[in-house]
Amino acid sequence: MSLWVDKYRPTSLGKLDFHKEQAAQLKNLVQCGDFPHLLVYGPSGAGKKTRIMCLLRELYGAGVEKLRIEHQTIVAPSKKKIEINTIASNYHLEVNPSDAGNQDRVVIQELIKTVAQSQQIQSSTQREFKVVLLTEVDRLTKDAQHALRRTMEKYMSTCRLILCSTSTSKVIGPIRSRCLAIRVALPSTEEVCSVLTSVCKKEGLLLPPELAKQISEKSGCNLRKALLMCEACRVQQYPFSADQDVPETDWEVYVRETANAIVSQQSPQRLLEVRARLYELLTHCIPPDIIMKGLVTELLNNCDGQLKAEVAHMAAFYEHRLQLGNKAIYHLEAFVAKFMAMYKKFMEDGLDGMMF
Amino acid sequence: MQAFLKGATVQSTRPLKDKATAGVSTQKRAKAVPWVEKYRPKCVDEVAFQEEVVAVLKKSLEGADLPNLLFYGPPGTGKTSTILAAARELFGPELYRQRVLELNASDERGIQVVREKVKNFAQLTVAGSRPDGKPCPPFKIIILDEADSMTAPAQAALRRTMEKESRTTRFCLICNYISRIIEPLTSRCSKFRFKPLASQIHKKRLLEICEKENLKYTKESIAALVRVSEGDLRKAITFLQSAARLSVEKEITESCVIEIAGVIPPKMIDSLLQICFKGTFEKMEATVRNMVDKGYAATQILSQLHESIIESDLTDKQKSAITVKMAVVAKCLSDGADEYLQMLSLFSVIMQETSQNN
Amino acid sequence: MNRLSVGDKSAPSRLNRWVDPSFTDFPTESFSVPARKKGGQILNSKCEAKRSRKRKGDSCSDSLKSSLLKESTHRDQDEPWVDRYTPHSQAELAVHKKKIEEVENWLNVHTQSSQGGILLLTGPSGCGKTATVQVLCQERGLRVQEWTNPTNTDHYSNSQQDWRMMDFSSTSQLAQFQDFLLRANKYNCLRMMSDGGGSDRKLILVEDFPNQFYRQPGSLHDILRRFVKTSRCPLVFIVSDSLSGDSSSRLLFPREIQEELNLCSISFNPVAPTAMMKVLSRISAIEAGKSGGRRGVSDPAVLETLCSGSSGDIRSAINSLQFSSLTDSSLEQSLWKVKKDKAGTSVGKAASRTNRRKKSKQKEPEEEQAIGGKDASLFLFRALGKILHCKRESSEGSEPAKPEPVLPSHLSHHHRGSLQDDPELVVERSHMSGEFFNLYLHQNYLDFFSQLEDVERASEYLSDADLLTSDWTSRSTMGGYGSSVATRGLLHSNSQQVSVGFRPLHKPHWLQVHKKHRENSMAAQSLFRSFCLSPVSLQTHLLPYLAKLTNPMRNQAQIAFIQDVGQMSLKRGLTRLSLEALTDKELAQVESEEEEEKQEGGDQGAGDEALSASQPKPMSSQVEEEEVIIEEYNSD
Repeated sequence: MSLWVDKYRPTSLGKLDFHKEQAAQLKNLVQCGDFPHLLVYGPSGAGKKTRIMCLLRELYGAGVEKLRIEHQTIVAPSKKKIEINTIASNYHLEVNPSDAGNQDRVVIQELIKTVAQSQQIQSSTQREFKVVLLTEVDRLTKDAQHALRRTMEKYMSTCRLILCSTSTSKVIGPIRSRCLAIRVALPSTEEVCSVLTSVCKKEGLLLPPELAKQISEKSGCNLRKALLMCEACRVQQYPFSADQDVPETDWEVYVRETANAIVSQQSPQRLLEVRARLYELLTHCIPPDIIMKGLVTELLNNCDGQLKAEVAHMAAFYEHRLQLGNKAIYHLEAFVAKFMAMYKKFMEDGLDGMMF
Repeated sequence: MQAFLKGATVQSTRPLKDKATAGVSTQKRAKAVPWVEKYRPKCVDEVAFQEEVVAVLKKSLEGADLPNLLFYGPPGTGKTSTILAAARELFGPELYRQRVLELNASDERGIQVVREKVKNFAQLTVAGSRPDGKPCPPFKIIILDEADSMTAPAQAALRRTMEKESRTTRFCLICNYISRIIEPLTSRCSKFRFKPLASQIHKKRLLEICEKENLKYTKESIAALVRVSEGDLRKAITFLQSAARLSVEKEITESCVIEIAGVIPPKMIDSLLQICFKGTFEKMEATVRNMVDKGYAATQILSQLHESIIESDLTDKQKSAITVKMAVVAKCLSDGADEYLQMLSLFSVIMQETSQNN
Repeated sequence: MNRLSVGDKSAPSRLNRWVDPSFTDFPTESFSVPARKKGGQILNSKCEAKRSRKRKGDSCSDSLKSSLLKESTHRDQDEPWVDRYTPHSQAELAVHKKKIEEVENWLNVHTQSSQGGILLLTGPSGCGKTATVQVLCQERGLRVQEWTNPTNTDHYSNSQQDWRMMDFSSTSQLAQFQDFLLRANKYNCLRMMSDGGGSDRKLILVEDFPNQFYRQPGSLHDILRRFVKTSRCPLVFIVSDSLSGDSSSRLLFPREIQEELNLCSISFNPVAPTAMMKVLSRISAIEAGKSGGRRGVSDPAVLETLCSGSSGDIRSAINSLQFSSLTDSSLEQSLWKVKKDKAGTSVGKAASRTNRRKKSKQKEPEEEQAIGGKDASLFLFRALGKILHCKRESSEGSEPAKPEPVLPSHLSHHHRGSLQDDPELVVERSHMSGEFFNLYLHQNYLDFFSQLEDVERASEYLSDADLLTSDWTSRSTMGGYGSSVATRGLLHSNSQQVSVGFRPLHKPHWLQVHKKHRENSMAAQSLFRSFCLSPVSLQTHLLPYLAKLTNPMRNQAQIAFIQDVGQMSLKRGLTRLSLEALTDKELAQVESEEEEEKQEGGDQGAGDEALSASQPKPMSSQVEEEEVIIEEYNSD
């Protein structure tokens, strides 16, 4: 038994639940035969991957669903061995090049080369190109992106690239201009609701519309999250009730409590406690930038208008440092300390204001 | 459950396969050529809008000689097209391949390549006539596209080669920013600046192509194309082709064009600014989140916002404060900082700046 | 020269030159050489021939004798005092009685029985490990057979022609070591006979390890295992602890091996100052007596500074004592004077001589280090304390000679007194990279701050420091600046020092947390690959929800992992993290795997002290007390 997310994943462009117009356009693209490189971008949980898989199916038929996980070893020019995992069917190859860290350039070049050079034999029934799907392109190094540009042109005849990324900001211009960019936005609340309801119906469950709405709002319209939430609701309690608590992930609750701890008291000792909590989050595999964003969201709820702008500035400042720096804890802690100092000052000023 | 799913897939694969094969056949028929190549000007006269450059070039073509050339200007203004067309006119289609060496930034262009490839090509001697007896100039042309991405040592190495082979070889350097070409090279070339295409010319070209390709279009969509491509004809043509692919046998709509270009609808930017001017932080935050959720790239928001800020009726002081923040945000974004937080910070600055006055 | 060598062969000191020409008296002779060059050469060669004939025989003993003679005359000047005053009895040893006793007991046990054993002596260099062994062996008539690493140059010079056959790679060194051990063990009796029964027992001493062992400790272990099976005589290993913290004793002799081989380990402490003082004053007294008044007994104060400067290394202390008394005393005096002056002026004092003397006393330890002694390294604990306690010169104590530049009023809150310690020096002497030092600072700085505003500034400086060193291409240059920013930033921002006595210091968590984070992420990737998700959504969405679902997983590893990582214990708060206290003797232990393992085991205990997340109420006073408890938790 698999997760609902996987079980009810649409498998063809026609069955996609939202952005139907775009789906139709993609269908046209497949049919007109000339298939460009694609750059699919959009926030996480919007269904980029699903859309891409549907597209591939449209291109090659059901064969693309026979996936196998392969473990490849690539030898860099410096004789260093790079191990990377790929997911492949007979027609396409999926790689997350950021797994290779700084060696991603070599990985990309080698993989695409091997794919492009192994031509399809019975080209009468198949397309004459294979597809290489690169995920998390925004985390590629600049070096690799420049290399990609050349590779894209060189093997255009036998190989198409589908790049998948959360934002185009980190993708260099030359690559953007060589690809047909396809934006996949998050579904609207209503769309999420309808997907949830239809999934529940297929499971033979009855989902009250209020709960559906609550889930979709809590998930931030992230469809993957919404489906996982819904399934967790099912485990928690069935039949559903309209005002049921939607289970949140432990780390989100933990972050909220940390934010509360910050707001309730501002002292060096409290900062020490907060640090311990941050460490705890980190050991549970929560990336530092996610922690930062979670904290910011919670803290913003807790303070007044004037302060909010300041918090936003600080958050932007330290999140940037988080990306540049080495040791995340310094920057997370500096952010918390800054907030504490500011909040304390604000509260004291407020008190003074009340006195006079 | 599994069986149900399987059944569904089996049913759906049939028609798909048929379609796929159909797709192949159509593809075979129209061996896809990018429209950018297809509609490249064939002779110098066809080059749009760059009258001065064309006039000078024509004069030197009449004398069957060329100086070393340096073309510069924003992308998509016809630099490469011009030199290719000129070369075609000079040599004719047969000799063209032998006489022209084109290197662009995608090719490896370290100092080694300049030394070997360019030198070897430059050292070939050529006859002063075509195989069919017509006279043609006794030199070859080396086109170095995107020359501003060459390293400085490679450019320096080029300098010597240029002088030594001046008898038999002409160089044409093409770049976006002339400031990135080292001084000794620029002084050896006659420089031509290509200006961004005026929108009427732009429009005319696009309409021509639409007609030749039998596309259905609306006036607004062409206008949108001209607007989003910012004087870059290549971009416009590429977008047009993509739009045509996506909406086969349907009208190319304005929204479709905007979508392909990844441009944020101007209305959204306007409303965002209005919220900044009037609304509360909460509202602004919600809007920013919405923007990010929609998948719009922060860099795109930034560049479009920049225009509207500059054109808006804020005081100079406000504008400068905002644009300073924009520069900081752009740097942070390029370092990989989180888009949502950066946008939030930027818009709160705008809010602060504009609310101070009121 | 020639005349002498031919005519006066009996003069042993001259003769010696044939064997070992020394440069010292060359210039005086050089005048005569060119005059009789020809004859000289002939004579020379004659002598050479003669000598070569009987080289094997008496010439050797001749030269030996002569060198002995020569040495006896030069002894006073040249021989290091360390060698001259090697202890000959237990009483002379500057080692703690208990330690000597321990070693003695071991020796008694293991030399009585025919079964040998292995003893491992550890401790900082110069604390008298070797001397103890030597003295004890001497006392009970044990012969010491010591292993020295064969050098490659020997191979080259001795066997240049057959170098092909001699494989002088490191493996051969290893083989030689093994050979040595087994032979020394086996041929005990044989050698004893030839020695004439003077010492019937012996002891094998290894101070010098073949390099190969550092790379592959396993090879040493194999050899030792073999040795233990057949051992007949005691084997002593001496390993000095190095300052950098990568303790080689731990590498060479991990705990399992120690247990397996029944290896007895005794660790020496640095020589106590009192013991060292005793030795130093004894030596200086003897020397003063010898020189006949030329050299006075050294000032006890000087001895004291030497003592403290050497930080428990008696060898270096004696060396620097010799050095300080060797140099011309008048020069010495002036040197001291200059120094004192410097010390005086640096404080801005222009007072009487006595006053200056007093002042300089405080500065002396630092100055003396310039003369001799090892550069006094600070224990990490002290180094951290120096930064964190933020000691400043009290401005009331000395009236400033010239008015200090005063900050303008709007910056006056940035005014600080001058620092007692130079932070860069402190970091340098802690023998740590700036980055690690920063981590330690970061772990501990919060305890020393009382004002939140100060903390805010301090944390910003730490963040700055990290930013400076983030780019690996420029790290080598920026590292110094990074640590300066961090240390000085902390010192500056600590405007109101908490006047606390002792605070426990802790080792940084970050390394451990970071490692765990990486490991968990990797594990998540490999265990849940079939979901085809990007790492971020896998870690933040899928895993936490999988923990909430009753979805049967495919294998045990996945279930365990989800329970470990996907769930967060909201009630207990901290589960994994226990603070590891830093003791004051501890050197920088950068990333010792062992420590972390230990911590894993004892982590459950620390859960109770955690702040309980469900009630985020202030309990600052409590927390402080509890931290002391945590140290004890760790020991189990």
